[in-house]
Amino acid sequence: MITLLSTGAIIAIVIVALVLIVVFWFIGVMNQLRQLELKVQEAESGIDVALTKRFDMLTKMLQTTKGYAKHEAETLEKVVKWRGGIPKDATLKDKEEFFNQMNQVAQGINVVVEKYPDLKANTVFLELQTAVANTEEHLQAARRLYNANVTRINTIIVTFPQSIVANAIHMEKKPYFEAEEAKREDVKFEF
Amino acid sequence: MKDKYLNFNNQKKQAETKFLIGVSITALGVLLALIGNVNKNALMVVGIIIAIVGFIIVMIGYGAFASLKRNFKDTVLKKMFSDALPGITYEPINGLSQNIVYETGHLKRADRFHSEDFLGGEVDGVSFISSDVKLEERHVQHTKNGTRVYYVAYFIGRIFRFEFNKEFVGTLQVLEAGSPLNRGYKKVHLESVDFNKKFKTYATEEITAFYILTPDIMEAIYALERRNPGRIGLSFHGDHLFVSINNNRDTFEVQMFRKIDDSMVEEFKKDLLVIKDFIMTLKLNTNLFKIKEDKK
Repeated sequence: MITLLSTGAIIAIVIVALVLIVVFWFIGVMNQLRQLELKVQEAESGIDVALTKRFDMLTKMLQTTKGYAKHEAETLEKVVKWRGGIPKDATLKDKEEFFNQMNQVAQGINVVVEKYPDLKANTVFLELQTAVANTEEHLQAARRLYNANVTRINTIIVTFPQSIVANAIHMEKKPYFEAEEAKREDVKFEF
Repeated sequence: MKDKYLNFNNQKKQAETKFLIGVSITALGVLLALIGNVNKNALMVVGIIIAIVGFIIVMIGYGAFASLKRNFKDTVLKKMFSDALPGITYEPINGLSQNIVYETGHLKRADRFHSEDFLGGEVDGVSFISSDVKLEERHVQHTKNGTRVYYVAYFIGRIFRFEFNKEFVGTLQVLEAGSPLNRGYKKVHLESVDFNKKFKTYATEEITAFYILTPDIMEAIYALERRNPGRIGLSFHGDHLFVSINNNRDTFEVQMFRKIDDSMVEEFKKDLLVIKDFIMTLKLNTNLFKIKEDKK
C-alpha cells in the first residue's frame, strides 16, 4: 500500500501528522493553563473568605475590648481601611494591605490584653481568641494554597516550549500573595 | 547484682530447655523415620512416634513460654506503663476493633485479623487508643497435587488513634506508601519538595491539606518518620488522627533465648513513649484552635 504512495504524498502525510501533534499539544497546554488559572482564582476566593472571617472575628474582639478599653479599641478600629469588609474590585495588593492592617489590629489587641487582666479572664474574649487563632490558620492555609497554585502556573508560563502557548493566549505570570512584611516589623501602638 | 527478673528468667530458661529438647527429639524422630523409609523397616514407625513425642514437648515448652509472656505483661509491663504514663490502660490480650483499624482509610480489609496490646487513655489532655495489629491476606495456589491455601501478612505493626485539635472539612491522608482506598481524593502538592518526595498527600479538599499540614507539622511528620522505622501513614478523619506504622514488629513481646533485663524493659518503655512523642511532636496537646467541651 505504502509503495503505491508517491514521495510527495508521504511528505504531506508526515507534515499533517506533525501539525496535528503540535495542535493537540497546544490545546493540551492551553487547557492545563486555563485549569490552573481557575484554581488560582478559586484559591483567591478562598483568601477572600478567610480574610472576611478574620475581619469579623477581630471586629467582635474589638467590641468585647471596648467594654474594658474604649479608647484603645476605637484607635485600633481606625487602623483598618475597609470597615465594611473587602470591596468587590479590591486587587491582590489591596488584600495584602488589608491583611497587614488586620495583623496590626491583632497585635494591638494583644497589647491591650496585657494592660487589662480582667479582659484576659473574660470567657467570651477567650473563646474569640481561639476563634481568631483558627481564622488565622485558615487564612495562612488559603494563602499557601494560592501561592502553591501560582507557583505551578508560573512555572509553566516561564518554561519553554509551554511559554509559547502562554504568550499566544496572553497569559501572564500571576502575583504571589505576600504577607510577610507585617511579621518582620515590630508594630508599636501608642494609645 | 540481684536479677530483678530472676523468677521470670528461671521460668523462661525451663520453657526454652523444654523447647530445645523437643526440637532435638523431633529432629531425631524425623531422621529415624527417613532412614526407616529408605530401608523399608520398622525404624520408620519408631521415628514417627519419637517425632510426635518431640513435637508434644515443643508445644509444652512453647505453651510455658507463652504463659510466661502473658504473666510478664500482666505484672511487670502493666505497672511500668502506668508509672511512665499515669492514667493509661494496658490490656495485653485485647486490641483495636476492625472498624477502628479500617477507619484509617488506607488499610484494606484483611482475611485474617489479629490485634493485641491495647493501650488507651489520656496523655497531656489528649485521648488516644492504640494496639498492635496484624493483617493477613488469603492466597490460594492450585498445583498438580491439589490446592494450597496460605496467608501472607501485609501489615504487621502498630495503629494509633489520637484526638485531633483542629476542626476541618473532609479527609486527609499522608502516606509513605500506598494510596487511599476510597475514591474522591485528590493528590496534593505541598510547598516542600522533600516532603512531597517522602510522602504522598491525598485530600478530599485541597485547602484541608494546607490547613492541617502547616510547615511546622510537615517538619514534625518528617522527624517522626525518621524516629520510627517502617512505613508510616497518617489519616486525618473526623475528630481523629490515625497513625499506622507498618514495621514488621510485634511490640511488647519477650523474646525466646534473650534474657529479660533492664535493657529489654527500656525498649518496651521506648515503644510506649512513642505515643507521647506523637502527641508532643505534632502538638496535639495545643488547644489553640478548638474550644474543648468540659469533660464531666
